[in-house]
Amino acid sequence: MLRWLARRIIAAALVVFVVTSLVFVVTHVFTDPATVSLPLEATEEHRADRRAALGIDRPLAVQYWDFVSGLVVGDLGESFWQDQPASKLVLERLPATLKLVAGATAVTVLLAAPMGMLAAWWERRFADHAVLGFSMASISAPPFWIGYLLIIVFAVQLGWVPTFGSRGFVSLILPSFAIGLASAGRLAQMTRRGIVEELRKPYAVTALSRGFSRSYTIVHHTFRNVASGFVTMTGWELTRMFTGYTVVIEVVFAWPGVGRLAIHAIENRDLILVQAAVVVLATLVVVTNLLVDIARRMIDPRVELA
Amino acid sequence: MTAVDDTATAGADAGAADATSPEGVTVMADLRSHLRKSKAGISGIIICSVFALVAIVGPWLPFLPDPAKQSLPDKLTPPVGWGGTWAHPLGTDQLGRDILARLIDGARISLLVGLAAVVIAAILGTTLGLIAGYVGGKIDTLIISAADVQMAFPGVLAGLILVAAFGPSVWLVIVVIAISSWMVFTRVGRSLVLTLKTSLFVEASELSGAPSSRVMWRHLLPNLVSSLITLCVLELAAAILAESAFAFLGFGVQPPRSSWGLMIQQGRNYVTGDGWWIVTFAGLAIAIVVLGVNLLSLWLQSFNDVAEREQIILERPGG
Repeated sequence: MLRWLARRIIAAALVVFVVTSLVFVVTHVFTDPATVSLPLEATEEHRADRRAALGIDRPLAVQYWDFVSGLVVGDLGESFWQDQPASKLVLERLPATLKLVAGATAVTVLLAAPMGMLAAWWERRFADHAVLGFSMASISAPPFWIGYLLIIVFAVQLGWVPTFGSRGFVSLILPSFAIGLASAGRLAQMTRRGIVEELRKPYAVTALSRGFSRSYTIVHHTFRNVASGFVTMTGWELTRMFTGYTVVIEVVFAWPGVGRLAIHAIENRDLILVQAAVVVLATLVVVTNLLVDIARRMIDPRVELA
Repeated sequence: MTAVDDTATAGADAGAADATSPEGVTVMADLRSHLRKSKAGISGIIICSVFALVAIVGPWLPFLPDPAKQSLPDKLTPPVGWGGTWAHPLGTDQLGRDILARLIDGARISLLVGLAAVVIAAILGTTLGLIAGYVGGKIDTLIISAADVQMAFPGVLAGLILVAAFGPSVWLVIVVIAISSWMVFTRVGRSLVLTLKTSLFVEASELSGAPSSRVMWRHLLPNLVSSLITLCVLELAAAILAESAFAFLGFGVQPPRSSWGLMIQQGRNYVTGDGWWIVTFAGLAIAIVVLGVNLLSLWLQSFNDVAEREQIILERPGG
């Protein structure tokens, strides 16, 4: 287990290294932070000044070494829009994003597990079709649109929750649902399919023929065998949230997270800050994948992961 | 020797002919009879055809106002049923432009970008998957590692950094969506090739001296087509959603051109006041077309049961 863990951690670190290097290639080889920060009509002199100020006039190899050695100690460069270290700005916003992802994950799991079980319990009956309908609708609607619909109905029409910003727990509710509904839709179908498959296996048939009810068998026998897949899929939904949903939903709800920071950085032509945000989010994705692998192995010892 | 050769080639050709006649005819017939029994398949096809038709003939539809024509006195007219008139069935936006006309106009970009991205991803991904699976060895390791890294670096992150570096454009969005889905085709293509590689028709073709390229394109590829089409449809739904998200963030089409995602971005300041219809109808258009594509994909999956292959996509090694 320990050797496996060490190998996984090294592999994950390698992926982070490759991804950040790719980011560096885009931000320093194809273009550079000075060019991006200046308007098109800037004079050559002006450009040269900015290059020197940012240290971009040095050879690429030196810059790359700076970038990599900075990464190791958590230095992601200076944001010239905010005149502060980029890593500090991103880390300040990180808790808000993590809170949002936690809320969305809670919505996902609390909706998906019971819906999947209900659909499997009443296979091919009304509940099954209703859950399928929910899943198809939720995965087809763009999450940012779901966000606006929730705002129109629950914040504007009914006035139950605040519309924008982050003011305590209540303001977390709508964005969590906006992100979590699609994930719940996907996960519910996966759970249902898993349980239905398990119910056809000999051990489940035995349990049923011994007189255990279908619901008891699902909760106590089959769901445990589906759990490993459930955790993996939840992990995948988490990575989707980190990389896509949170960015869009933070914009919709004016949520002060990393995604919105990145969008603002783009508007202010601050390439270093965008780069820092992307590096942090990509690292979160890799860490999530690692944690999911560990969790999966702990839940289901049969899983042999290379 | 000649006799062996002949049977070998015959076997190889039978394998290659899988997707064409005469077996192809029965596949089409099966598909049609399966469709007749599937409500999801029928509704999916109807929705997709209607939207495709509207996107194609949109500019020539009669009685439709110019989607770009502004008319400030008419701004924020509500839709029919909420106090509006049939002059603007779905109401008007903040500049008095007709929403129905803009939805039809935006359909082109929204659907074309998704379609183009999926086609690029499918061609690139399948080629790499074929090579990885058939050639194997170091090339296989290299391609699969690249796919794993791509999994850890999904579309929106790549989109953020590329837009920050090069500025927004439709082409960039197509490229970003394509590079965030090629590995799905690579993984599925590769795993199918690995199972097909040992079958008789491939061995026969190799023994009869066919070069690897011929084995790959003439014998292996035709056997992947049905799964790859199913996968394309599945990815198309994701691509249309991704396009709308990028347009909403302002990364894609720039005004005065329009797409559904951009309409939502432009109408978002009116959701809390008098103008909920802009965002609502634009999002509804996205949701309905994606639902159509999803229904189509549900039916195709039930037809060639890709449950197994789906498991392969979902089962990601660490990254």
